[in-house]
Amino acid sequence: MTRKRILAGAVGAALAITATGCSGGGDGGGPVELTFWHGYTEADGDVLQGIVDEFNAAHDDVEITTELKTWASIDDTLLTALSAGEGPDIVAMPAERLPVYADKGAFAELDDFYADAESNTANLNPGAVEMVTVDDTEYGVPTGFVPLAVYYNQALFDAAGVTAFPQTWDEWVAVSQQLTVDEDGDGTPEQYGVVLPDHATVANGLWPSLFYGNGGGIAEGGEAVIDSPENAETLRFWSDAIVGDQISPTGVDGVGADELFSGGKAAMTVGGPWMASIATENSIDYGIAPLPAGPAAQAASAIGVSMAVTVDTSRAEQEAAEEFFSFFLNDENAVAWSLGSGWPPLRTDIPADAVAENPVVASLTEIAGTGQPLLPGVVNTTDVLSAVDELTQQAVAGGDVDALLAEAQTKVQEALDE
Amino acid sequence: MTAPNPTARRYRPPAPLGGRRRATGSPAGRNARAWAFLAPALIIIGLFVLWPMLSALRLSFMDASGFGREEFIGLENYVTVFTDPDVRDAVVNTLWYTVLFTPTAVVSALALALLLNSPRMPFRSFFRTALFVPFVVSFAVAAFAWSYLIDPQVGLLNYWLRGLGIQLGNVLEDPTLAMPAVVLVAVWKLFGFYFVIFLAGLQDIPTSLYEAARMDGAGPWSRFKNVTLPMLSNTMAFVLIFAMIAALQAFDQIYVMTGGGPYGHTQTLVMEIYESGFRKLDIGFASALSYVLLAATLILSLVQFLFFGRKEKDLSS
Repeated sequence: MTRKRILAGAVGAALAITATGCSGGGDGGGPVELTFWHGYTEADGDVLQGIVDEFNAAHDDVEITTELKTWASIDDTLLTALSAGEGPDIVAMPAERLPVYADKGAFAELDDFYADAESNTANLNPGAVEMVTVDDTEYGVPTGFVPLAVYYNQALFDAAGVTAFPQTWDEWVAVSQQLTVDEDGDGTPEQYGVVLPDHATVANGLWPSLFYGNGGGIAEGGEAVIDSPENAETLRFWSDAIVGDQISPTGVDGVGADELFSGGKAAMTVGGPWMASIATENSIDYGIAPLPAGPAAQAASAIGVSMAVTVDTSRAEQEAAEEFFSFFLNDENAVAWSLGSGWPPLRTDIPADAVAENPVVASLTEIAGTGQPLLPGVVNTTDVLSAVDELTQQAVAGGDVDALLAEAQTKVQEALDE
Repeated sequence: MTAPNPTARRYRPPAPLGGRRRATGSPAGRNARAWAFLAPALIIIGLFVLWPMLSALRLSFMDASGFGREEFIGLENYVTVFTDPDVRDAVVNTLWYTVLFTPTAVVSALALALLLNSPRMPFRSFFRTALFVPFVVSFAVAAFAWSYLIDPQVGLLNYWLRGLGIQLGNVLEDPTLAMPAVVLVAVWKLFGFYFVIFLAGLQDIPTSLYEAARMDGAGPWSRFKNVTLPMLSNTMAFVLIFAMIAALQAFDQIYVMTGGGPYGHTQTLVMEIYESGFRKLDIGFASALSYVLLAATLILSLVQFLFFGRKEKDLSS
């Protein structure tokens, strides 16, 4: 081999490396090919795959390939994948993350799709749609929307002699105290009545739910409203219960809460539909109940998941993706997805008896209307949610509630003004 | 020209293996050959180091998300870097991390190197290998392992300490203990590398110097202070600079163990860069912050380098 060839070979190899970064589109003669990233790793993933397979079978001109990832890894890799031109065409993600991407131009606008009568979007749960709307434009289609609910351990309830599920905050604290057990009397309970994480809560929704329950909020119409006497009262009430009455361990996050509940160390947890299957896996006889009402309202922040079309897709790819969205939302699949995933139907026109065969779905469907979208209309959810996390974590750790609220107010307002 | 050194004339380089070959071809051909040999390294460096660095430099002057939408905004990102309170907190945290990490890692590495350099030490090779092993382990794996060890519910370390009557509590959620905890993991993981470098440095010190010092009546402390430390000053500069760079770039175990928490107490600069870039998708700002960190690291390294370089000269004069 001559020297020149070695050189040419090396350059060629480098070019080949860069060239692989550019994936082919669907412009050839074959079907439009779409990649679909999602994080439905449990039984829900199988149901989703079934819907995708049916769609592919019914459409000769479109081929959707799903790629299963964890929700966290979707969030970690989407940016680099899209900027390298290797991203998915459709991507599902937690709904509160969608505005961050949409605002930066990562997703295609879907307002024409929503305006189309054939899209099956007319009767979508309005709260779910609010979570995918940024500046009056829809950027996504919801795949899940369910209010946070209390999942409780029936055996521990029976053992403590609790017969009725609490309906108010005071009852909730009282029942939790009854369920908290410190057998060896060392001051650290072996079993907690409830587990209330103080940061990174499930879908970031626990503390917003509690704030709403006492008539407070976080942001309204572009203004921070977190520094309110209602929220101060809420933080004091729950810090006293968590630290003073020891009804919940401190310093736990959402994942830790799931673990404590599935390990039988906490009688109640606030979570999403997946807790039902986690409980079953751990042989826990569980019940589902709405969050007990606060002094002002019975309220729960909703867990939202949504899917969107990424911005680099061609016209044909975007149309194919929209075709899939309306297929996903049609009468038959709306019910199948709900029953299979354990989440309540996304369309409000699906009658309750259509999903009655799955008791989890049936009980969640009853409360589906009470779910409030998390931070609708807020673009920079990242900074708002981390301000809330810092606030609640420090408040539970014994910080000065008024000072912390003032600080959170400034941070939230800054994030809204960006 | 006269030969100043007679030995230089007598010296002939040994013939290369496989017999002597003359450089063939025209100068241009030799040049091309040199480039061909350099090409693989140059291409990799260019593609994976230089190109990303230049792209990042360009992005640092943009309002960019990485999805193609870009707008030139001049120095705005840099202005934000120097005015943003979150960045200020991250700088404080990073300096605190560096202050905790660098002396701990360097002193423990040096102490163990001295101990294991002594021929009287039994099982020397075993200990040397054992101390280096953590360095080979991936940072993320080490961080997960330590998270389990210090977990308040199932952690082995907590269990043992409880047996001794010490309640450690939830270390990673404790605002004062979280930083020492992530520093500890970094020390455990990285000091093996510094240890090996020190060991090599120690073995380079001629024993004659120690013998001479002993003749002059120098005790162990005096020998350490007047022979070992000055002779190690190059090694020390290297280790200190590397340790400091590692500290300024602290990220892996923090990402795994605390995610920057509790409420921002372990939020270092690189965590802040990650959060701006990958959570808030503000790639322009993240690039600007990266460049400021790069500049700061460079300046601090140069200062250390000059400081130790001068010391070396003092010794030789």
